[in-house]
Amino acid sequence: MPNKKSLHIESSGQLCIYCGACVGICPLNCIYLDETRITFDEKVCTRCEVCVKACPVGAIEIG
Amino acid sequence: MQDRKTDVLVIGAGPAGSMTAKWAAKGGADVLLIEKRQEIGSPVRCGEGMSKDWLPEVGITPGRWINLEVEGARIFSPSEKVFEINEKHAGNEVGYVVERDGFDKQLAIDAANEGVEVKLKCAALGLLKDHGRVVGAKVKEFGETYEVHAPVTVGADGFESQVGRWAGIPTNIAMRDMDTCLQYRMANVDCDVRYCDFYLGKVAPGGYVWVFPKAEGLANVGIGVQVSQVKSPADARTHLDRWIDHHPGYAKGKKIDMVGGGVSISPPLKQTVADGILLVGDAARMIDPLTGGGIANGCIAGKICGQVAAEAVQAGDPSKEFFQKYEKGWRARLEEKLYRNWLAKEKLVSLSDETFDKVIDALAGVQLQKLSVHNILKAVRDKYPEVTKEFEAFL
Ligand SMILES: Cc1cc2nc3c(=O)[nH]c(=O)nc-3n(C[C@H](O)[C@H](O)[C@H](O)COP(=O)(O)OP(=O)(O)OC[C@H]3O[C@@H](n4cnc5c(N)ncnc54)[C@H](O)[C@@H]3O)c2cc1C
Ligand code: SF4
Ligand code: SF4
Repeated sequence: MPNKKSLHIESSGQLCIYCGACVGICPLNCIYLDETRITFDEKVCTRCEVCVKACPVGAIEIG
Repeated sequence: MQDRKTDVLVIGAGPAGSMTAKWAAKGGADVLLIEKRQEIGSPVRCGEGMSKDWLPEVGITPGRWINLEVEGARIFSPSEKVFEINEKHAGNEVGYVVERDGFDKQLAIDAANEGVEVKLKCAALGLLKDHGRVVGAKVKEFGETYEVHAPVTVGADGFESQVGRWAGIPTNIAMRDMDTCLQYRMANVDCDVRYCDFYLGKVAPGGYVWVFPKAEGLANVGIGVQVSQVKSPADARTHLDRWIDHHPGYAKGKKIDMVGGGVSISPPLKQTVADGILLVGDAARMIDPLTGGGIANGCIAGKICGQVAAEAVQAGDPSKEFFQKYEKGWRARLEEKLYRNWLAKEKLVSLSDETFDKVIDALAGVQLQKLSVHNILKAVRDKYPEVTKEFEAFL
């Protein structure tokens, strides 16, 4: 997907507190939280940035 | 692992799930309660405040999970004028401050004592469907995947709920209908153990800062910010840290724990059931949109959900028509208030800080014997007639 911006979830625990806020709000249901592992489906994600705003600690970056 | 059968499969062992499981078992159903975490109730994602008048209704007896009992709430306006409300009138987060993990575990124990089978490290991965009807779920327990067949499946999987989406029930929430939350447990702070405190206005756009005391010197200090009002990433954290910096009694405190999460502040869902499936608790967006409290509503709806699930098994009719009994039951008990509080929240977030200050100041000045719309309006009208009009619309 060359024209899509990149989305990065800092999921190593340096920022992410595994709270699930992004999971609950993603309109496309493409973020997965498994205890202390968080991933998202690159192909489904539309880069709408809703999750970026929903994250209380700023662990998601789209650029 | 071998596939298995049960009457009722409950996905998620939070308060809503455990309550549902318990009452379904009481109704005579064979119940399996699955939880993806290894420990029920942990990690805690909660301010740990709850009202207490509803506990007998759902059969919960107070236990060791209670930290303390507060007298009431204090509402602080942007310039920190204070209005005190007696615990009875202060909404569903004020009464007890609890040890939430202990509370959740107690509800799971109550369910187990009714014969519910509980499985940990067991996550639902998707729903099983037969001609559009939900007939159980595919689960993964300790790394092994198998199918659980059940005529009735309950989605009690919390704010992050996938179950509703898998079932095709619209549960999506808009940015304006969600608060992004962050909370520190703080030691060595000057909290007042008699009150749960709420700070409103710009300190927390579209939400509030809360201080719920756990003991002398120990409190949960948290914030909820409406997602649609977030200006830059990590706004929740930035606002909470700023609030703490500006309050010396808290700035000197030490953080010993941090939790976050999402809270829905939406109007009630239009639909919470489909063929073979019911949604309950946060998964059904049952949080009170004004207070952000979801424990009580999840438990109250959970009882009804469990009862109806058992009846459906007995009747051999897990259809969405049969489940209307649940849909109507929880709405009769909760919907009017949810709707009213959603409207109140919508108005509240639109009041300016100045109006807020005046209203709280007017209320603080009088001893309100009874917290009625009439009394509140009168107090405001007497002191600040100029804001009455704006405020009247709010009430
Ligand atoms: C920061 C914060 C503070 C809060 N403060 C308060 C407060 O002070 N008072 C109050 O009343 N409410 C508060 N709330 C709201 C309250 O926490 C929720 O309303 C309450 O937990 C809802 O209970 P539940 O059973 O519906 O969901 P949850 O308690 O979220 O339980 C859902 C369970 O399902 C499990 N699960 C999820 N997916 C799966 C799956 N696929 N398979 C198996 N299991 C799964 C989860 O692990 C979890 O244990 C707060 C919320 C937040 C985020
Ligand atoms: S950018 Fe939008 S679609 Fe992509 S993960 Fe975030 S919320 Fe979901
Ligand atoms: S909202 Fe942020 S902190 Fe919470 S799980 Fe998502 S990325 Fe992690």
